[in-house]
Amino acid sequence: MILPLRLFYITVLQVILTSIVIYFFVTSEYRELSNHNLQALETFLIKQKKQELQNYTSLASASIKHLYPKAEPENEEKKQAIEKLLNELLYNGDDGYFFAYDGQGINIAHPKEPQRVGASWWHLESDKGEKIIQRLIHNAKAGGGFLHYQWRKPSNQQESSKMSYSTYLKQWQWMLGTGVYLDDVNQQLAVLQQKIDQHINKTKQIILTIALSSIFIIFIFGLAINLSHKKKADKKINELGQKIIDLQEEQHRHVSRELHDGIVQILVSIKYSIEATAIFLMQSNQEKPKPLTDAEKNLNVAIQEVRRISHHLHPRVLDELGLSAAIASLANEFSKQTKIRISLNKPKLSKLLPADINTSLYRVVQESLINIEKHAQASHIAIDLSIENKRLTLKITDNGIGFNRNIKNKSSVPEESIGIGLRNLTERIEYHCGQLKVVTSKKGTSIIAIIPSHVFAYYFNESAQQGDYLDTERDKTLLQDT
Amino acid sequence: MLNATDQMQVTTLFLVDDHPMVQDGLTACLSYYQDIDIIGTTQDGKDAINQALSLKPDVILMDISMPSMNGIDATEIITEQLTNTKVIIFSMHDSLEFVSSAMQAGASGYILKDTGSAEVYLAIKAVVSGKTHFSPSIEKALIDNPLKEEKEKLTTREQVILAYIAQGQSNKAVAKILNISFRTVEAHRRNIKAKLQLDSLAELIRYAVNHGLIDS
Repeated sequence: MILPLRLFYITVLQVILTSIVIYFFVTSEYRELSNHNLQALETFLIKQKKQELQNYTSLASASIKHLYPKAEPENEEKKQAIEKLLNELLYNGDDGYFFAYDGQGINIAHPKEPQRVGASWWHLESDKGEKIIQRLIHNAKAGGGFLHYQWRKPSNQQESSKMSYSTYLKQWQWMLGTGVYLDDVNQQLAVLQQKIDQHINKTKQIILTIALSSIFIIFIFGLAINLSHKKKADKKINELGQKIIDLQEEQHRHVSRELHDGIVQILVSIKYSIEATAIFLMQSNQEKPKPLTDAEKNLNVAIQEVRRISHHLHPRVLDELGLSAAIASLANEFSKQTKIRISLNKPKLSKLLPADINTSLYRVVQESLINIEKHAQASHIAIDLSIENKRLTLKITDNGIGFNRNIKNKSSVPEESIGIGLRNLTERIEYHCGQLKVVTSKKGTSIIAIIPSHVFAYYFNESAQQGDYLDTERDKTLLQDT
Repeated sequence: MLNATDQMQVTTLFLVDDHPMVQDGLTACLSYYQDIDIIGTTQDGKDAINQALSLKPDVILMDISMPSMNGIDATEIITEQLTNTKVIIFSMHDSLEFVSSAMQAGASGYILKDTGSAEVYLAIKAVVSGKTHFSPSIEKALIDNPLKEEKEKLTTREQVILAYIAQGQSNKAVAKILNISFRTVEAHRRNIKAKLQLDSLAELIRYAVNHGLIDS
């Protein structure tokens, strides 16, 4: 019992450890791989955006080219035409627009925030203290470049991270730029990140489920093995116990027989010798000496004593006349001693049972009667022995107080309230493929032993054919007078 | 009593007891009674039947506990065959169950081994004259618990015959197997049917199967 339990713990521990290791290994690998992919994707997306911006800018540049080469810097008309053009040059819904500043940071065009036009934004700073316009102009002067900063997004009026590309229009000393808001990229990445997390979670759940079900299966399996082991062990113990009891009964029977058929017979023969001596003395007209009378008396005591012991060990009536007669004899003695009336119902057939079943059922009656005398306060007992429908039923019913007063209903008594004696009897009857039931109530107790007839069937027939009850060798010529 | 009486009639006696010492002791005692003639002894139930059938004694003194066949079953077979032979059970068993079984088997008396040879002599004389005889202690017990004639209980012999009949053997076959006359088997069969309150062979077979007496 201990070893399988320990094995079970080790196995469960193993499963748990394996699951944890697999979980950490798989998730970290997966996370690393996904992060790698995410970064690659981000780089790719940014690169794409950059390309896009450059394309847009070159498109915008191209669209104002017809104005641009001939324009003089101070040509207000053209400036306004360009401004107008830029104001209409929109893409990506509300969020894609072009802006223009001159070299001093004065806004020339801004389609979404027209209030900025005309004012100088040279000193405009980001939260981090970065001079945005200066940097944009710087980038533009350097031949075009990208700048990341925070800017209000027109479509939702919220500060978002923006990437802008600016280029320089040398003749007018203007900076022309456009930008994309990166939050959709971030959003895309966030969605992916979420998906990855979901995947990891799912993996975790799968591993957890597998681990738990493995533990469960191991548990069930272990339990089943343990139960079957226990059952087998119990059965073996029970069988061994019954074998010991059988052996003991057999020994009792043997000793009882030795005493009754051996010692007692010798004592009886001595008694007859003494008697013969007395008759002889009488014939020769002599008084019977007192020691002889004493010897006879003591011999009688000895005979009675040995017979009592023999009977106590094993009732011979059981072997000679069968169970019904033995129960009848027992009931008779019991009634005489206790003044409890017993009515007995016997079957019409006898000697059907082999010795071991005979003895077991006899002990059931004996034990029940002892219990009734001790505890039941009964005035009447009914013993019913019958064979019907291919089963033998022995029922001992008393009208006493029942043996557990806590139990109010008439119901089968839980095993623990049955005495050890009764439990032994149950095991004994079960050993003969039968069952022992106890029904008790305030109105009395019934003990019912049932043995299927296939257990003892043919016993009588077999013993009859072996010649125990027959004599087939007899010479027929001797049978004339019937 | 030791003298030959006027109408002295020798009673032939057959002793069945598996213990030779008891036989010797009893023989020693009974040898003082001149109207008792011990014509044979045996220590075995089956042998008792064989010898009794050839010796045809007036009285058999029969022990119960014996190796091959117990005295009650032997009594039943002997009284079935020899109507003129009386059987007295001579045993240490004082339980009334033995007494009633013995009487059912056809015994005429029941005396306990520790009652003394005078008692044995009285019993022999009583059964020869057609009376029954019990040891005083048994008689006393019988006053408290009179022998209920167990009309319905089958004897061992009847059970054996029922088993054969239920196995499909005819009366004739049973008679042959048991070495008894056809009429005896018929009589037993009638008794069995009456005791079990059954009419047909089919019912007898079913009864025997239900009670685990024979193979189904």
